[in-house]
This record gives sequence, structure tokens and C-alpha cells, in this order.
Amino acid sequence: MSKIIYIPDKLPTPPDQQPTVNVFAAVVEPKIINNLVRQLNQIVPLENLRHVKRVQKKHLEDGKIQIALILCLASENNCDLDVLPPCVQELVASHKLSAFITKVCKEAATTKEEWEEQCKLWPTSYHPPAYNIDGITGFNEVDTQSIFGFMRLAIELAQSSSKSVVNAAVIVDPSVRQVIASACDHHISFENASTSNINGETSFEKCPKSLGSHFDSYESIIHGTFPSSSSLAKLKQSCADVSCLYPLRWFDQPLPHSSNSCCWHPLRHAAIAAIESSAARDCRLFPTLETVGDKSVEMEHMDLLRKLAKRQKIDLDNANNNENKVGTDGEGTYSKLGRPYLCTGYDIYLVWEPCIMCAMALVHQRVRRVFYAFSNPSHGALGSAHRLQGEKSLNHHYAVFRVLLHEDVL
Amino acid sequence: MDSSVEDCSSDTLRFMELAIQQAKLALNNLEVPVGCVIVEDGMVIATGRNRTTETRNATRHAEMEAIDILIEAWQRDGLSTSEVADKFSKCKLYVTCEPCIMCASALSIIGIKEVYYGCANDKFGGCGSILSLHLGSGEAPTSGNGLGRGFKCTAGIMASEAVGLFRSFYEQGNPNAPKPHRPLVNHQAGQ
Repeated sequence: MSKIIYIPDKLPTPPDQQPTVNVFAAVVEPKIINNLVRQLNQIVPLENLRHVKRVQKKHLEDGKIQIALILCLASENNCDLDVLPPCVQELVASHKLSAFITKVCKEAATTKEEWEEQCKLWPTSYHPPAYNIDGITGFNEVDTQSIFGFMRLAIELAQSSSKSVVNAAVIVDPSVRQVIASACDHHISFENASTSNINGETSFEKCPKSLGSHFDSYESIIHGTFPSSSSLAKLKQSCADVSCLYPLRWFDQPLPHSSNSCCWHPLRHAAIAAIESSAARDCRLFPTLETVGDKSVEMEHMDLLRKLAKRQKIDLDNANNNENKVGTDGEGTYSKLGRPYLCTGYDIYLVWEPCIMCAMALVHQRVRRVFYAFSNPSHGALGSAHRLQGEKSLNHHYAVFRVLLHEDVL
Repeated sequence: MDSSVEDCSSDTLRFMELAIQQAKLALNNLEVPVGCVIVEDGMVIATGRNRTTETRNATRHAEMEAIDILIEAWQRDGLSTSEVADKFSKCKLYVTCEPCIMCASALSIIGIKEVYYGCANDKFGGCGSILSLHLGSGEAPTSGNGLGRGFKCTAGIMASEAVGLFRSFYEQGNPNAPKPHRPLVNHQAGQ
């Protein structure tokens, strides 16, 4: 059976094995709680434990309620009560508290199950992820078929070169199920597959197989059958030229005798080339707004356009939910006001899990979801060698899915 | 960040000064101000500046621009892949800001010899800040199957100048930044 698997931001840990830290706590009288919490928050704020609640309410067997309070962090090794900071020690003494050591969970819960388990130790707060990317909680049948279709298209592309199997990337606007750009690895391409001008822009029309941008042209692929088991197996076997799998192999590649027909680039992996192609499309469809002189006017104008673009995007999404999408006239889908910001809202389909360079490029370009068919054990950056989607410091995060096609033959 | 500012020879400063000039060019074009130069045998053979806004391609960082100039030129000269690899292994990069994860990986793939950078990049840095791709995998540097080749990295060259440019950029505002941030839009759409 084919299926779509969400690749989470961090390696899942069983809910009952979450990391904990030690804290000092004490049982306190209800009437002094407010005062005490205020003082503690000032002198020993729980800096890295914002998800942990200061106060624990316990229903005792005799019907009474016992209230305990976290005083401050405790050392992991030295559990001696003497190591309480002097200012806390002072509070403890003045209120005649008896401090004890207990455990709280170190990290905020990412799932309801984790949170329920955390609260058995000490109450914490739980905020479901602020971003809600479609599909993390599952796909409906229509979306599933569409995802399989686009992955099938990527696989077809990967095998389209006569020389060898390469990685392929297809960037899709899921709100209208439209292909925005597609590309194969160009790192060792021998045909003059894609000419690049001095500005580093790839001319979209010259892409291999000259892919249009309207999905109708792919209908036979998208609604066709899966590649046969034997062709999938062949794909896996003959992947020595896939750039993300062997990023350092480029300089070992023999070149054809006539160097004129050769166009290679060690960094032009499929994802990078597809981003380039979608950027070129953006420039072509939405040429720079040339206003005379005043830059600030231009910027204001762009800002307005961007806001309108967002609004239109929402309308498209809503329209999509209510009715079957009516045909769109190819690149004319968006009016002048619908200029996208990079690849915001777009999905990318890759045959192989991207290397770290490509994965970071997809962060920069603001892709919304990444789908890949095969993992990349030694260089894969989205679950295998690295897990870039869980890198908190980055300014953008996408959701990652693996699309398993005919699991039994892989 | 193998070594701190130990090698601040006049050459190093001179090349970083050229990189700063590239960053200023970027700033004048309303781009995030990052610039670089690539040096072979004491000669600048390529320059690059950030062109992400102009190209609407957020991967067009200064390093990628400079690398592409060289690959294109060397290919035009008819150099083979191994000759190009050999060339890169003798090149030093001077860049005003720590290469991001993508660029650090790219530099490892092309096999650059050495990198000097100005300020650290504590959100995206691939040479010590977030990931340490400059350390490579520890395997033989010529291995075609290794996890990545390392390169020597020196941090903190004219860092305050580089930071100063960023400050001017953010004061004038980033015309390319989306607002509001996309997740908010999703939220509004009830998705």
C-alpha cells in the first residue's frame, strides 16, 4: 500500500520517557501563594521552564486541597537543601517552609499525550504548535491522490534523462494544484538542458522536456498508474548520479569529448534548479514595478500588492474547499495583484530526500511542505543525517512528509 | 570557528575590505548587505553580493554568486570537472557574514580551501553557530563518498563593520520581509 508519513521535527520519545530536571518545591498555605509567587518570579524566574506551572494543586484523600510551589531550579547532582540561593533560603525561613526536591519535565510538550504524561510529575501548560500546516494530522482522500500524482510526476522526471537516473523536483501551488516549476539535477547534465544567463537565471522554457505550468498537461501522469515495481526497483539501483545522495562525486565524473555540449554545475541539484526556475517565473509574470524616482513609493506599493496577494490566496483556498477547482488558464491564474512571496504556500516534491544544502535552500525560499519518496541515509537533511525541520533558530519551518509508493517493492 | 582572530595580516584585512565593499553595493540595492571575494594565489578572481530581492531567489547569497561566476568562467575555458575541483581547492573565500547552512554545505561540496568571515550568523550559521559543516566528516578529504569535506574557518575579521551594515539595513527596513508572517494567514483562513 502506498502511504504518506509525516516526518516530525524531532525524534519521537515515548511520552513517559521525557527528560526532566530537578526543582526545589515546598507546600504552602493558600493565603500566601500570590505574594510568594510574585517574589519568586522576581528573584528566581523559571527562565528555561516557561511551560512549567509554579503551583501544583493536589486533592488529598481527606478532601482537602494541598498546594505546592516551585521555589527554584535545583542542581542535578547536588540535592542538598543548603544549596538554595540565599534569597530563596530567606523566604523559606520567614514562611517556615520545608523545601523538597521534585522533578519537572524539561521541554514543553509537543503533543497532548506528552502533556498528559508531564502533568503526572508536575503541571505544565500545553500550546499546540502555533503553525498548523495541512497534512500533519492526516490527508483526506482527494489530497492523498493529488500528492501521489505529483510524486509520480517527479519520479517520471527523474527517469526522463536518457543517460541516467537523477533527482527531480516539482514545485506545486496546492491551492490550485498547479505545477509552478520543475527541474532535474543539472550537476552533471551532458545535454545543454538548461541554459543559464549571466544573472544565474535559468530560462524556464528551455527546461528538459519543456514542462509547461498547467497541470492538465500532466494529467496522464497524475491520474495514471504507479510506476511498475520493476521500474521502482531499477530506480533505486541506478541512483549513482543523484546529486543529493553523492554531493561530492561531481569532480569524478568523466566528461564527454566535446566540452561544448556539456553543461554541469556541482551545486545545481534538482531543488536548487527548481527554485531558480520558480524565481524566474515570478520575475516573468510579475515584472519589477518600475516607478519613477521615489523608492519609498515603490516599496509602499509593493507592500499593498503583497497584502492583496495574501487576501487573494485566502479566497483561493476557500474557493478550493467549497467546489471543485475550475480550470485556470495556466500562468494567468494570478492577476497582477497576486504576486507570490518566494515559494510561500507552495509544496515541493523530491524523489530523494534532499541534502543539507538543498534543505536549507528550501527554508530560505519559504516552501510550506516537502514530500520525498526515498530517504537519503548518509546525506539526507530531513530525518536521516540531519533533521533541519526541527532547527528552532531558523526563521521558517516547513512540514516534511515521506511518500511511500508500493512499500512492498522498495 | 576553528580559530579566532589570529591571522589578521594586512592581506586578510585588505580582502575583507573588498568583501565589505560588495556588501555596501548590496545595501545600496536594498539587499541584505552581505558581500564576498574569492582569492586564488593572492589575487581576487571573483566577487559576489547578495541578490535575493532582485532575483526573487532567496538562495542567491553572495557566496553562490561568486562560485557561479567561477564555474561559468572555468567551464568556458574548457576545464574538466577535476581541474575545476583542483582550482577550488586552492581558493580562499572572504565573506562579511558567517556562511549560512546552505552556503557552508555548498563550500564543502566544491571543496574550498579556507574561509574568513566577519560576524557570526546566529540564526542560520553553518560554520559553528547552528551547524559546523566546516568541520567535515573527519574522513579523508578526497573521499568521494564522505559526508562532506571540511575547510579551515577563521571568524571575526572586521565583524563590527559587517554588523554596522546590517544595522543600517534594518533601520531602513527590509522591503522584502513578509508581513504579517504566513502562519497568521493560515490561521485566518481557518486552515
